[in-house]
Amino acid sequence: MELLDKLKILADAAKYDVSCSSSGSTRKNKKGGLGNSHVSGICHSWSDDGRCISLLKILFTNYCIYDCAYCVNRASNDLPRAAFLPEEVMNLTINFYRRNYIEGLFLSSTIYKSPNYTMELLLETVRKLREEVNFNGYIHLKAIPGADKVLIERAGEYVDRMSVNIELPSTKGLQLLAPQKKREEIIKPMGIITSRITQNIVEKRKFKTAPRFVPAGQSTQLIVGATNDNDINILTLSEALYNQFNLKRVYYSAYVPVATHPNLPSISRPPLLREHRLYQADWLLRFYGFKAKELLSLSNPNFDEKLDPKCDWAIRNMDLFPVEINRAEYKMLLRVPGVGVKSAKRIIAARRFTPLDYDDLKKMGIVLKRARHFITCRGKYYGERRLNTDTIRNNIILNSNNNKKKGISDENQLSIFSLFPDILLPFEEKITKITGEL
Amino acid sequence: MKIYYTYDGSFDGLLTAIYEAYYRREKPEKILLEEDYQENLFLKRVHIHTDREKAKRVYDSIKSKISNESLKNIFYTYLSELEDLGTWVYQYLKLGWKIGKHIDLNLADDRVLVIHKIRLKIDREKHLMLGLIRFRRLQGNIYYAPIEPKFNIVGLVAPHFVDRLGEENWVIHDVKRGIGAVYNGEEWIIRDIDLEAELEYGNDEFIYQKLWQEYFKSIAIKNRINPKLQKRNMPMRYWRYLVEKNG
Repeated sequence: MELLDKLKILADAAKYDVSCSSSGSTRKNKKGGLGNSHVSGICHSWSDDGRCISLLKILFTNYCIYDCAYCVNRASNDLPRAAFLPEEVMNLTINFYRRNYIEGLFLSSTIYKSPNYTMELLLETVRKLREEVNFNGYIHLKAIPGADKVLIERAGEYVDRMSVNIELPSTKGLQLLAPQKKREEIIKPMGIITSRITQNIVEKRKFKTAPRFVPAGQSTQLIVGATNDNDINILTLSEALYNQFNLKRVYYSAYVPVATHPNLPSISRPPLLREHRLYQADWLLRFYGFKAKELLSLSNPNFDEKLDPKCDWAIRNMDLFPVEINRAEYKMLLRVPGVGVKSAKRIIAARRFTPLDYDDLKKMGIVLKRARHFITCRGKYYGERRLNTDTIRNNIILNSNNNKKKGISDENQLSIFSLFPDILLPFEEKITKITGEL
Repeated sequence: MKIYYTYDGSFDGLLTAIYEAYYRREKPEKILLEEDYQENLFLKRVHIHTDREKAKRVYDSIKSKISNESLKNIFYTYLSELEDLGTWVYQYLKLGWKIGKHIDLNLADDRVLVIHKIRLKIDREKHLMLGLIRFRRLQGNIYYAPIEPKFNIVGLVAPHFVDRLGEENWVIHDVKRGIGAVYNGEEWIIRDIDLEAELEYGNDEFIYQKLWQEYFKSIAIKNRINPKLQKRNMPMRYWRYLVEKNG
């Protein structure tokens, strides 16, 4: 088969994996080598769906022994199949890289023959890239669930980031849509990678020259809308993954209907707005000091589609507002709707010189559309005349552009839900914090 | 009578103008490029001749009395090529010599804000360019990338590629300004570039262009097509030299 056809098939098969970032690694170029990585990552293009292209994102092969209902590459699906050779992936990567098309490689695979067989092929590919052609650009590799611990650990020494996709947020969903997979098998490689990363941090402290292990950390992906799990379950799972497994990122992928199956919901469009709300909440967990249980509760298990999660929280906690912009501490500024990490830092810096009023904030580029309801500037309040939560809520919704988009409402039934209990158990080793990715 | 300074458009020229404003104890209303100045009976025009010695003294004074960061800020502002940049830099530095190293925290001040806004724009375009530059492999194993950035940033992006493609020969050509960064495997310089001959591409160049174009098509999810988002992230003025957009 021509390389061009293989690339078409195997890029097409990889596109539902939403992870794209190339950040978090500071790998340097070596003498005579090719490439390095940029700590904040670089986007190289944006495809027609508006998502960024940073890495050459391909599957090694799409021949699969599994038959998961939600997956486009399931064994029973009739579609063209292909498999790369390690050299082919290597040549594509370095030739794209030299032309500055990409920031590196994102290599994933379906399960071909057996987990170990597949993992060995992936390992061979990344080994070739690092050792034979001295490639020092970014590599993100999938760890194959069920593969041998040794293989996963060896691969981790070559790559910048590793990930295992959980995909379905609950065990029940897994039983329904991917009965061949066991949740223990998915969780196991994540544990292996986490403990190796932790160990590596200790090694690095003792010996500067110790080889790095997955320096850009670990990530995973959850599918939103293929099962009837609600937002609180998904967000609690993410929170646990960040806290116990020290993941760098959890990606959310709105379920794109690629199959019809009695166990799958029939939807016409992917739930993009819901995906967006989850990302917003995810940011609140990682950079704004929020807890999942502050944002959602059992009586309020899903995000409001009309209002972003922070705004929603603020309106429910109106007794904490308004805050005085010239006195509020950083943590509280971060909780003001419309104020982000950058804005909060700018406010703190600027108010050391002069007390800030409303126009100063405007000049500094602080978005006041929402914030004005929750702050005072030198004692003066600029929001609605009466501090009434309903008025504020309506005002924000009416002013937001998002209400033009029609929300997609899925009927979410509360189900007997079991999160992955394994990861809710306290993780044995103490994990030191790795520098965050912004 | 109001005084307008003009200079030759070089960074040293700009710094010399600032030097003179201080030592002549004049307060120029504006500092402009020679060609941007329009004759006016009610203005006194003073042309400043570039003097590297004087420029160096201003340069060192910014470093020691204000900060490295503000030096970077004014250099980036200079690269913006905006008409009023000279005046803005002058106002900003005047404040800087008064306040000292914390000038950049003074975010409610217009003189600081205007510089920061330009700096942000330049940083953005620079970062975008790091991704959007597309090299073509020419005969003789030279990687060639034409660009047309809004600001004069070719010198800002070059070091990134020195680290990354240190073993290759490459040229990043700012077609609009007729200059380029040229790297020969050891060191890089900025020089004028005037392309007369047709470029001759390497043997495998079109194979990889085709592969990239097909990859670009395959990776988009059809149910999520969103041209508005694509254009917001990647403004159309940069599409001209993108291999994937010209298949």
